[in-house]
Amino acid sequence: MLTQLLDVFGFLSVLLRGGALALQSLVLGGVLFRCWVLRPAQGLWRDKGIAQSCRRLTFWSAMGLAIMELFYVFTSAAILMGTTGLTMQDVVGAHFFIAGVAAAGAAAIVVAAITRPKHVSAVLLAASVVILSAFVMTSHAAGRMEHRPMLIGLTAMHQAATAAWIGGMPYLLLALARSREVRTAQFICRRFSRLATLSLMVLVGAGWGMSLVYVGSADAAYGTTYGVMLVSKIVLLSVLLVLGSLNFLIVCRLPVDAAGSLPCLRRFAEAELGIGFTLILAAASLTSQPPATDLISGRVHAAEIAARISPRWPRLVTPDRSALSPASALDWSPYGTRQSGLQSFVPGASLHANGPGDIAWSEYNHHWAGLIVLSAGLLAVMARSSHAAWGRHWPLAFLGLAVFLFLRADPENWPLGPRSFWQSFAVADVLQHRLFVVLIVAFSIFEWTVQTGRTFGRAALVFPAVCAAGGALLLTHSHSLGNVKEELLVEVSHIPLAILGVTAGWARWLELRLPSDRPRYILAGVWPVCFVLIGVVLLNYRES
Amino acid sequence: MGRRFSQNLVLVFALVTVASGHAILIETTPAANATVTGPVVTLRLRFNSRIDAARSQLIVVLPGSRSRKLLLQPQPSPDTLISRAGGLTRGTYKLRWQVLADDGHITRGEVPFKVN
Repeated sequence: MLTQLLDVFGFLSVLLRGGALALQSLVLGGVLFRCWVLRPAQGLWRDKGIAQSCRRLTFWSAMGLAIMELFYVFTSAAILMGTTGLTMQDVVGAHFFIAGVAAAGAAAIVVAAITRPKHVSAVLLAASVVILSAFVMTSHAAGRMEHRPMLIGLTAMHQAATAAWIGGMPYLLLALARSREVRTAQFICRRFSRLATLSLMVLVGAGWGMSLVYVGSADAAYGTTYGVMLVSKIVLLSVLLVLGSLNFLIVCRLPVDAAGSLPCLRRFAEAELGIGFTLILAAASLTSQPPATDLISGRVHAAEIAARISPRWPRLVTPDRSALSPASALDWSPYGTRQSGLQSFVPGASLHANGPGDIAWSEYNHHWAGLIVLSAGLLAVMARSSHAAWGRHWPLAFLGLAVFLFLRADPENWPLGPRSFWQSFAVADVLQHRLFVVLIVAFSIFEWTVQTGRTFGRAALVFPAVCAAGGALLLTHSHSLGNVKEELLVEVSHIPLAILGVTAGWARWLELRLPSDRPRYILAGVWPVCFVLIGVVLLNYRES
Repeated sequence: MGRRFSQNLVLVFALVTVASGHAILIETTPAANATVTGPVVTLRLRFNSRIDAARSQLIVVLPGSRSRKLLLQPQPSPDTLISRAGGLTRGTYKLRWQVLADDGHITRGEVPFKVN
């Protein structure tokens, strides 16, 4: 029962860690924004609403952080007590307990202090240092045997820089939205731009230093889950840098054309913010993986990756259901498996290996899904031409994908397998797949109404939001603690899908939100191409 | 029904955080599937991370599936756990471990070995 429930909610832990990191960034980003951007501008402006809005966001972020940290601490303590027979008195001295309570306490101080109008900057900064230290105490750096002080320092710098830049972005957006005077907006943009540039340099420098220790070699970068996740972070950071550079250029142009440039800056900042928080989710995913340098055996070689991704004709004929492995029991226990050698696993993790029938079934599913997405992408490309306006019905293809996934993705479960509809939710993979089905249905319906002119305004943003959220969720999908080779090879195809999903989502978002026509025309071509590429990647997906 | 549901709900939330983890076993004595001489066996596990020994545990599963919790000796190094199991007669055993890493992650696993 215990391991079964752990299996179900295993992937949620990455989301929770991501949520805690995001809230930490928002709190620290809010305090830094207040001290670095708003305070120097106090004598300049008459827009009192700016400070009030920023205070409110910091207040709620700190409140959320305090609750989430306490939740983490007490659930971890409950698990430890339940599995080892320790008492609460024994657990309170653990590092995670001290760190969690300290972070929650410091967040509570921020909540109390932020509502006071004056003389609180020192208190807020001190509380921020405590929050940052608490997070560093529960990072990889705290547990390392070698280079520990240096890694602790680099982790602190990396997280602080992330908070200043990504965590500060919502405050920039709020401030710009509340600014009634152009000169106030100009001042805020200039100050934040300096902070973001400095933060970026620190973030990249510290990240580079950590990757030298945690990854260490090229074969670890592509041969381990940690390495592959890190590469995906670097790709997302590159996209973020492009957006950041565009915003930097806009800030430079502000003195010339503030009224025309500011709306563009706000829209790019929205995308920067979204991709930034996706990066934080990817970082949370990394914290659940052992550093690449620690996995000496079980790494995937370049030749194995090349063999796996080399093009092959898709499998379009379904294997018989009788070829599948029998449904595993819901009370499956990792103990007593026949695997030999050193095994480390998170309670609830599955070590079940797929047979040839299971692999054929999964590949067939992915290939048909790829065909559907490829068709939708090509229709979306064609819809840009006035001669094929019917292509605008492309979102309906995704309803077919949702039905297909619901029926085929998990053959052990209803309607194809022995497990009932409700029992099936007790399996982590199935829960994730069902979540994706709901997302796909929401996406296709909303986008079809938008594409056919039935809905206008904010409803159009549902598609990019769902698309970007789907990509971000995919970054957390399937995480093997033991870095079983096969799971990593599957992940090698999932990560491009996640990055293409995030790119498609934010490209469409910008197409809808940007005020000027030329960049919108370019972006309108980006997301359909992303769809086509997603279809191609799925069509070449293989598990053997 | 309602009470069972709420108990399960508490349990579900109580289990969420364990699932993230990354302490991995680097080497063990005895090695996995190795044969050692009894009746007293020294057990040594080295991890890739600092381990909170006070909140970690080793259990030896005896032939016949009975198990015995082992007393941990002082750590020779922050990444290593050591214990001595006595009275191990000829047979197949499993060393079950659960560790709390210094970064707050809980991980567990097992090492099968034989005594001749």
